[in-house]
Amino acid sequence: MMRIIDLALKDLSQIFRDKRSLLFLVAMPVAFTFFMGFAYQSGKDSETIIDARIPLGWVNNDPDGAVSQTLFEMLSESDSVKVVELTPDAVDESIRKGEVAGALIVPVGYSEQVTAGKDAQLNLITDTNTARGQSLYQLVRTPVTQLMSALEVASLSADMVDKPNDASELNKAFASASQAWSEADSASLVQVELAVSEDDFQGDWFGDNPYNQASPGILVQFAIMGLVSSGQILVQERKTRTLQRMMSTSMRSWEIIAGHALAMFGVVFIQVALLVVFGQLVLSVDYLSNPLGTLLVSAALSMWVAAMGMLIGTIVKDDSQVILFALMAMFVFSALGGTWFPLEVSRGGFAALGKVMPSYWAMNGYQNILIRGLGLESAWMPTLALLAYALGFFVLAVWRFRKMDV
Amino acid sequence: MKILDIAFKDLVRSTRSLFLIGMAFAAPLLIVALIYFSFGSIAGEEVTTLDISMGVVNLDVLPEDALLEAPLGDNIRSMFFDESVESWITASDYPDEAAARAAVDAQEIGVAVIIPKTFTEDYLAGNKDTAITILQDPILTVAPTLVRDMVTSLLDGVAGGGIAFNVLNERLEANGQMLDPADIPTFFERYANWYADFQRAMFHSPEKAALVATSPVSKGEQTSSTQGIFAMVLSGQLIFFSFFTGSYSMMSILQESEEGTLARLFTTPTDRMTILAGKFLSVLFTVIIQGVVLMVASYYIFGVNWGKTGSFTLSLLGQMFASVGLAALLVSFIQTTKQAGLIFGGALTTLGMVSGLFTSNISIKAFDIIGNFTPQGWVLKAWRLTLAGNPVSELIVPFLVLVAMGSVMFVIGAMLFRRRFA
Repeated sequence: MMRIIDLALKDLSQIFRDKRSLLFLVAMPVAFTFFMGFAYQSGKDSETIIDARIPLGWVNNDPDGAVSQTLFEMLSESDSVKVVELTPDAVDESIRKGEVAGALIVPVGYSEQVTAGKDAQLNLITDTNTARGQSLYQLVRTPVTQLMSALEVASLSADMVDKPNDASELNKAFASASQAWSEADSASLVQVELAVSEDDFQGDWFGDNPYNQASPGILVQFAIMGLVSSGQILVQERKTRTLQRMMSTSMRSWEIIAGHALAMFGVVFIQVALLVVFGQLVLSVDYLSNPLGTLLVSAALSMWVAAMGMLIGTIVKDDSQVILFALMAMFVFSALGGTWFPLEVSRGGFAALGKVMPSYWAMNGYQNILIRGLGLESAWMPTLALLAYALGFFVLAVWRFRKMDV
Repeated sequence: MKILDIAFKDLVRSTRSLFLIGMAFAAPLLIVALIYFSFGSIAGEEVTTLDISMGVVNLDVLPEDALLEAPLGDNIRSMFFDESVESWITASDYPDEAAARAAVDAQEIGVAVIIPKTFTEDYLAGNKDTAITILQDPILTVAPTLVRDMVTSLLDGVAGGGIAFNVLNERLEANGQMLDPADIPTFFERYANWYADFQRAMFHSPEKAALVATSPVSKGEQTSSTQGIFAMVLSGQLIFFSFFTGSYSMMSILQESEEGTLARLFTTPTDRMTILAGKFLSVLFTVIIQGVVLMVASYYIFGVNWGKTGSFTLSLLGQMFASVGLAALLVSFIQTTKQAGLIFGGALTTLGMVSGLFTSNISIKAFDIIGNFTPQGWVLKAWRLTLAGNPVSELIVPFLVLVAMGSVMFVIGAMLFRRRFA
């Protein structure tokens, strides 16, 4: 045991001498956390702006139509949409310049066609790849649905009073239905509630703090980035021939790996601890609402990263390969584990794969504490999953180390 | 000629580097593929809906005097158990709110719809105080929104039925007629059928839908939003790894310095600027090859349309200038290859992050502003314009900015090198 600790202490003294690398291990994730939180906050702010007034271009090629006029009034009365009248030629440029989020194009003869019960399409030109475009589509869909409903109601009603082709009757029924729709509000009959432990909690999915997502996400990602340091230890020892010398001592393979892994655990754990403290004190991310849970998840995360770093160290040949493997691991585990984007937006197989990733369990453990507001019991499963991964990677690293040509 | 010899030698060396090959080609394609498979499929079809795991607590009961056959809660519940949604919604019944809450807390389900006992009674009485509760896991965003939309849409259908009935009564009265109770079921059935067809067309048959969304890029043609997203994601990754590749290719100077071959090269009658120029040229070739390979690969693998040829070429050239310039500048500050890993990783990832490369498919104002001062930000601007189908004229400003940025950084880097190896 003492040998393992001695080896770990030797590694730590080496690592702490490289001030520049150390700075990056801590300063970078701090900077990243700020920026990601900033991004999430910006996203939130823009959502608020969208909810207030989202500019919609209006191109009416049916200027004399009663139905298109009604649609224009419906949209104009909306609290969420700001209608901007455009000419057809100005649409592309207005969208490109961001003056409007999209443009609704009413085709020629639209009112006449829909009143006659024929199919006619309204075209919303918008980039549905963006949140803004998606929001706009949702905002326009409701009045269009209500408009078409009013037309159908008018048609049915005119049939029932035996005046199916009486324009005056159709118009009156259509006006009544449109008016009724403007007073209806189905959305008010549905309330959304977050499942969190605090009864008085009223926030968004970030737990009322955008850094609740950014902080653990970056923390996990950069813990994995620590693989560069851990992987490089074995490479350096092979380069300087100290590994060969160590192998000639009575130390066993697993002890060598354990010693190095212990050092790396120390480095990663210190990094994680610093980020937790930074998150708590500077960003008001309440890791300490469940200190033991945070400690368990952080320690297990550090163990897994240290073990994986050792495995990489036994596979690679030089420093550049360490960086490559570490970055690949960081990207793969971050993307799959839900540190970049929530796994709920992933599809079946990918999501299922993501949910068995150690990075997912680390995120899950932190999110249980920070966003779901759950207790210590919610940290056990993520911790055990991470420890199982740590053990698996450690065993693989020892096996690989024994096969290594030193 | 000597410049080309040095460039060729370095280029050959690069092709033997597993690391460079990995970073230049494998990593960006791997990441994009990961994200691609998380949302869509290699066939390039539209994103299918999510896998939603949800619960329903239907406590709603039909008032004794109601004309309806079943409480509204039954309709809402059956909507989530309908075979048309079973491929993306897995719904379970829960006996009460407490059981549903426990299931959400345990992350067995992400969303629970709780329909109160008097919902139908209060709805029919015009009482708007009784609401359906959608209880959601705070982590989720998309699934709860979809569930809420479905419930609201169904209630809109019910509201539409009510509106239809009221308008009919009003019009009959205005025409001096009376409603025959025997006609009521037929009337409601006609409206319900229309509404179901309308919603089906809206969500599943774009050619019949009353409202269709088209991309401004396609100018009227329907495009795959999946491909649009991936074009932006891929451009972000392409920029990031282009700068990475440029910097790591430039590391050959440090490697040769450490190995002693650079010192030997300096003893030959070759001007130092010629040596450095040869090395920079090699980096430029590497980055160009990387850019072309990635774009061709993404075109065939992911079906990404990179826009107009002229715009595409200008963007790619601008990216080359900027990445080589920044590489020269960064390498001039680094003393050893050991430092390079973390410093390159750190500097390039930070610059990439603040320029919006990792959030390239969405526009974040803060990053857009910061991007005005970084080469990555301007490259991203250029690609956004290119992917939006803009003509070459729109790309001239970003291209010139990138050439200027790249040149300034290159000159500073070259001067620092000269001083170091003087």
